[in-house]
Amino acid sequence: MNSFRYIPASIEEIKKIYKFIGIKDKKELFYKIIGDIHLIEGKELDFMPDQMDELSLYKYFSDINDKLRSSGSIPVFAGAGIYDHYVPSAVDAIISRAEFYTPYTPYQPEVSQGTLMALFEFQSMLASILQMDTVNASMYDGAESLAEAVLMSLRIYRQNRQTGSDVGNSKKIKILVSKSVNPIYIEVVKTFIKDLDIVIEFTDIDPKKGYTNAAHLKEKLQENKNICAFIVQQPNYFGIIEDLEIIEKIVHSEKSASSSNPHLIVCSSEPFSFGVIAPPGFYNADIFAGEGNSFGNYMNFGGPLLGLFAAKKEFIRQMPGRITGKSKDDKNQDAYLFILATREQHIRRQAATSNICTNNSLNALRAAVYLSLCSKEGFKEISLLNLKLSHILCEKLIDTDLFSLKYTGNFYNEFVIEINNKKMNASEYINEMMKKGILAGISLEDGGNAVLIAVTEKISIKDIDNYVNRAVELFS
Amino acid sequence: MKKFPGSKGLVFNEDLLINQSSKGLSGVNMPSNNLSGVHIGKTAKDYIDAKFLRNEENSPLLLPEVSESTTVRHFTRLSSWNICVDTAFYPLGSCTMKYNPKINETIASLNNIKNLHPMLSAAYIQPVLKIIYEFNRLLCGLTGLNEFTFNPQAGAAGEFTGMKIIKKYFEVKNEKRNIVLIPDSSHGTNPASSYIAGFTPVEIKTLFADKPDGHSSREGAQNSGKDNEFVSIQSKSKGYIDITELKKYINEDVAAIMITNPNTFGLFEKNIREVAELMHKNGSLVYMDGANFNAFIGNCKVSDFGVDILHLNLHKTFSTPHGGGGPGSGPVGVKDFLKEFLPVPYISVCKQTPNNKQAADDDEQGDYYELKNEKEHSIGRISSFYGNFAIILRAYSYLLSLGKQNISKISEIAILNANYMKKRLKDTFIESDPFPEELCMHECVLNDNVFQSEGISTLDFAKSIIDYGFHPPTIYFPKNIHGAIMIEPTETESIKTMDSFIDAMKQIKKKGNKYSTKSPKNTKIRRLNEVLANKNPIFK
Repeated sequence: MNSFRYIPASIEEIKKIYKFIGIKDKKELFYKIIGDIHLIEGKELDFMPDQMDELSLYKYFSDINDKLRSSGSIPVFAGAGIYDHYVPSAVDAIISRAEFYTPYTPYQPEVSQGTLMALFEFQSMLASILQMDTVNASMYDGAESLAEAVLMSLRIYRQNRQTGSDVGNSKKIKILVSKSVNPIYIEVVKTFIKDLDIVIEFTDIDPKKGYTNAAHLKEKLQENKNICAFIVQQPNYFGIIEDLEIIEKIVHSEKSASSSNPHLIVCSSEPFSFGVIAPPGFYNADIFAGEGNSFGNYMNFGGPLLGLFAAKKEFIRQMPGRITGKSKDDKNQDAYLFILATREQHIRRQAATSNICTNNSLNALRAAVYLSLCSKEGFKEISLLNLKLSHILCEKLIDTDLFSLKYTGNFYNEFVIEINNKKMNASEYINEMMKKGILAGISLEDGGNAVLIAVTEKISIKDIDNYVNRAVELFS
Repeated sequence: MKKFPGSKGLVFNEDLLINQSSKGLSGVNMPSNNLSGVHIGKTAKDYIDAKFLRNEENSPLLLPEVSESTTVRHFTRLSSWNICVDTAFYPLGSCTMKYNPKINETIASLNNIKNLHPMLSAAYIQPVLKIIYEFNRLLCGLTGLNEFTFNPQAGAAGEFTGMKIIKKYFEVKNEKRNIVLIPDSSHGTNPASSYIAGFTPVEIKTLFADKPDGHSSREGAQNSGKDNEFVSIQSKSKGYIDITELKKYINEDVAAIMITNPNTFGLFEKNIREVAELMHKNGSLVYMDGANFNAFIGNCKVSDFGVDILHLNLHKTFSTPHGGGGPGSGPVGVKDFLKEFLPVPYISVCKQTPNNKQAADDDEQGDYYELKNEKEHSIGRISSFYGNFAIILRAYSYLLSLGKQNISKISEIAILNANYMKKRLKDTFIESDPFPEELCMHECVLNDNVFQSEGISTLDFAKSIIDYGFHPPTIYFPKNIHGAIMIEPTETESIKTMDSFIDAMKQIKKKGNKYSTKSPKNTKIRRLNEVLANKNPIFK
């Protein structure tokens, strides 16, 4: 009999190995390796629970799942960086194939063509959705991806500055960020750049419209010649569509000290919007960093997600992460493999473009399957449906006179409303709505009265009417 | 002739999906959403300014146009071109490709769990917070450390987090220390992570002859006719940190040492306690890369090594699937004095029940879990939410299934298996074993001496073993072992499987280079042209 079901060695076989390697028992084995360092024994493992058989384990988690019914199977009107889209069964069916979920990074392309070709298709589809030249094979999440975009911009800026003019060499490099970028993303960027001698500055938003104040952006850029990049989110944190045409012109017409223009970094947490609105590449974005979880992935209480990273072709050698490429094998057949590996940590060590190794490949594969299923027209239609449903809810909420729209700029599938009745703040409102079985949104700030509301295709008109009716009940 | 798992069979051809398009086809039906009346016929420009709209002419959308059945067949065929843990022995060194228990997948796909929005208020997610909290306690018990953060999404993110914690620690102490010492036997991510966190990584040589004068490896190098950067077996190489050598690098600018233990030679860092003592005496910290924790779990606590801070890879030691390259999870554990620097958000527990606990469970003995975003000396946020919860869940389930009865078997058998392979390879490959006298831990490393004597390169060997039905080991890493072959069997492989792999290695050597340079032969595609791919990159 084997001692545990995942271990395919019988007691006799274990004894046989001990004998073969000339060791008496476990004590001797460890003593010969770790010397007199303490070996854990007996009661010291009492902090561990007793082993659970599979049935008990299933029941244990099944109970937990049942307890979460009132939070895991309710209509979700919360977004703020992660959106509750439907995942077709075919995505789960493909992803549950062990051939996809149990191998590792395709270091040996001859036995990993499935993963590699799927990642190549992922890159191709995302490149088209974003209209960007190059997409990598995934990052961890939107926030981390944006932080890596900043590091990349910085590398390019420093290289250019070395070769270019000396103007402003002594000045600290700055990055400029719109205040309409997801605050969590900004926090993560701050963590990444903290010890790197970079200054972060912000551009204001139009307080009525909710989008980046272009005049302020222009001012900031003219004041500072040592800005390596401007970061803007599309649609922004408040759901508002930014006028990237104007922004791009401003950013790319300014000369920085590196004698090149500051980079336009566009981030997004809802790339589904690009089925309806023009993509970042259309506006000549230099780098795109964002969250791709909306494509075929579950929310999973916030992880794993899918970091998207894309850039212009000329920056490909500065990109972080893995890039799948197409080549030929010895028999001249099409074949796929990771390319430009000399950027990476396992070869370049500290000179690498990033430390990322394990990424979120399986989440990228989910996105590939999902986008394939959507197909061209389906993607656009689902994208439009999101837009429609959110506008329907918004309209109906405003019609109750209980809420006002905080920002009046054009929005995609997310918007901010303010509660008119001062007796209830946003968190209290969300809490009361939870009691009625609806996740009504996210409180924009502690103690404030603004609620950030997102609507996806999973929401039906019935859900919308129910939301409105429950809200009316609450205030009557 | 021996029976090997590799064989021939019908392999499907499959074109890119985009090339299989028929205009107008789709793999989804639009949800009706009970949309009615005016809204049905509306288009995007009825809601938003036309100038924002995507235009097919300027921005063509190149998604395939195929049905659900075509999509499923496409990806199923693709999947058949992969070797994976469930189909083959996958002894990829330093990656711990152990079996991924199926029950953990079932649990992670439970409906309410996978559909949880991360910004729900704490009252509604008590069971989830409890899982993270309890898993934290278990990791603390297993490592001897005092607190973990689960926010890092993979090992490298864990290293980065750890390095940031060390930065913050010295910042608060008002000490300027910029150097992180990294033995050459560490993972490649170590120098990259410390550099990105703002440190200067300094490499320490661990692999040299007994006399550390830099010349004694020459004899060995001459004997084997190799580049003398590399050490051959005759030079009594050590393979772990040499205290005399380390001392040369210790000064007041050293913030920490980053030790991969067991190191990438598969060896235990014998001097780790002495190293830790020296570092601590210097006011420096000890970071351990715990990617290879499968060698210790249930038997050794890293606190007994003198480690202050550590990252673990849940996708290695804790059995969560590698996903073809991720997602992983890289929790970081610290001793008490570093707790205040851990990233936000974090979970804290209080005994009393707050008033707003409506949805919380009534059977939890009064423990209430909260999510906190503020901490005075925290390094800040490093990920969008709380790390990869679905991975944490699988790892927790893995520990529960093992329990106190089985937990220590994992590392014991992982070590036994690696040493079994090391010893069984000796009759043919003794000249390739850089550390013939040593017991290895979870993996064993060979150089290419023996294969080279037959004109077989390490790459040739790796490609050849594919035809026998095995995934190749890690190759050409660590870099300071010439033509390195790094074999990690894990505890979830049987003697029969290991024997079969060893026989295949011996047969490859016997067959010589005529066969191996043309391998693999049984795969969908043959060897790839990497030069072409990098010279003229095609990436979409």
